[in-house]
Amino acid sequence: MEPTLENHGKQTGNPMTFKTVLNHPMFKKTAFLTAAAGCVLLPHIMTDTYYLGIINYMILYVILCMGLNLILGYAGLLSLGHAAFYGLGGYTTAILITRYGFGFLSCLILSGAIALLFGILLGLPTRKVRGDYFCLLTIAFGEIFRLVAQAWIGFTNGAMGIVGIPIPSILGWSIRTEVDFYYLGLILLGFTWITLSLLVHSKFGRAFIAIREDELAASVMGINTAVYKIIVFGIGCFYAGLAGSYLAVYQTTVTPSNFRLEESCLMIIMVIVGGMGSLLAPIAGVIIMTLATEYFRGIAEYRMLIIGVIMVAVLLFRPQGIFGTSAFKG
Amino acid sequence: MFFDVLLIGIMVGAIYTLVTIGYSMVYSILKLMNFAHGDVYIFGTFICYTLLSKYQLNPVLAILTAAVLGGILASFVEIVAYRRLRAGQHRMISMITALGAAYVIQNSNELKWGNQVMAFPSILSAKTFQVFGLAVPMTQIIILGIAVGLIILFTLFLKYHPYGKAILCVSEDIPTASLMGIPINRTITMVYFIGGMLGVVGGILYSTSYNAVSLAMGFRGTIIAFTAAVIGGIGSLGGALIGGMFLGICENFIGVYVSSSYRDPITFLLLIIILLVKPTGIMGAVEQTKV
Repeated sequence: MEPTLENHGKQTGNPMTFKTVLNHPMFKKTAFLTAAAGCVLLPHIMTDTYYLGIINYMILYVILCMGLNLILGYAGLLSLGHAAFYGLGGYTTAILITRYGFGFLSCLILSGAIALLFGILLGLPTRKVRGDYFCLLTIAFGEIFRLVAQAWIGFTNGAMGIVGIPIPSILGWSIRTEVDFYYLGLILLGFTWITLSLLVHSKFGRAFIAIREDELAASVMGINTAVYKIIVFGIGCFYAGLAGSYLAVYQTTVTPSNFRLEESCLMIIMVIVGGMGSLLAPIAGVIIMTLATEYFRGIAEYRMLIIGVIMVAVLLFRPQGIFGTSAFKG
Repeated sequence: MFFDVLLIGIMVGAIYTLVTIGYSMVYSILKLMNFAHGDVYIFGTFICYTLLSKYQLNPVLAILTAAVLGGILASFVEIVAYRRLRAGQHRMISMITALGAAYVIQNSNELKWGNQVMAFPSILSAKTFQVFGLAVPMTQIIILGIAVGLIILFTLFLKYHPYGKAILCVSEDIPTASLMGIPINRTITMVYFIGGMLGVVGGILYSTSYNAVSLAMGFRGTIIAFTAAVIGGIGSLGGALIGGMFLGICENFIGVYVSSSYRDPITFLLLIIILLVKPTGIMGAVEQTKV
């Protein structure tokens, strides 16, 4: 029962409605523990490596989309260059491991750091450039990255990409099978989720949600909107760098075609289908879109057509996404 | 050599201007990045290709048919994917549906025509003549003529025809225009139609001057149009002309004197620099935030 004037704001009577059960802390805790246990035990239940491979790609995209959701759903910046940061991470790891013999853990950190650095550099113009122009800027950056990766044959090996990335190992744990990669992905995903929820629920997080809701009002309240936007953009890109690093060792190759504009668009649509502005909502988007593309694999030539139709249909009929809290505010 | 490159640059610039005009008009009215623009123009170019190479149609007739079909497709996209979102939604939403529409058209084009580079029939005479000791191909002069002619025609249309004036009114202020009895939806659809038509003509001219047409030119066209519009300043015809010319000439000089594989990256870098130095473009005015 909802608190009303009659019962003086107290919840009386039978509180066991479906909604109260869902919101009860005990239920939340149990659900969380069950989900966590399910995630850990999953490879022992589902032993088929083909399905596990699909799940590993889903984890990869969830990490990417959580970072993008921070940019899109929390900071309200439309970035169509997310694949470039993903690619920066991938190429950093690939080059450092194959040419300079770095360990995987240091590569992972460096990949994130380089994506963060470029993210902040590209975020700097948000001080001056308005929303749509910023979107164009991210497209330009993404295309520059891909074209340079294709043209700079001496450093990136051109369109052939970098092949033969060795089996990574962290502190003696060498990651070779799909199951190992699943756990590596799960660790990265857990790290992403925990750091992001700490960030979003901090003072910092509330500030950039205020910016998304009303930039002018937020700046009048004394929030330095420019700095916040740059930092949020950089942090979102950091996770893309981590995902790129994971992709490099998982795929054992990176090529420029891994990081095309279509990838950025696919990530955007995953975030939107799941719902912007809610931390875990992109998971739903990733699952739906991955299963859809897997399901339609037989008619692969229609893939972009289907993605495009889903994109238009979702935005026309449910712009806040399936689990989203808020759509863009005008 | 220098003048040859400059001349090709001017020709490419004129074509880019045609592609940019429709884009810039749409942007100035709706503040919508029409990602589908390039795919619409490549659709029209493909239609023209089929009409010319398969049915040996008269070139003028083929261009007109393709332009009209391109215009219809552009207005169709507007009616289906953008109109519903015009009121009450954030601009970002329609930008993403635009991207979705772009994918649908691009994929449909790919299903019909594939993603290979195809030889576009040359529809203009291959004669050259001498000007000041330079061999100038007839093709370039005709293309330049058509492009400049269409730009002038469109400018006159905007200035003197009632429909053109309606477009200008709507781009100034939509609510006021609708109070004055201007049919908003019809005017906006018309802008898309004209923009699509001009884009298709630009695409055909580009393809015939390079004797090639391919799917990848579509997305590149969208980016070129937006870049040119931004460089010149969005919403003004003069801006589209300056931006288109600047881009066409720069691109050719970079391609010839620097490196052809770095042509696009350098063009994009140029765009980033211009956005950083003057975010409103060369001809653009500063927009104030309203409280």
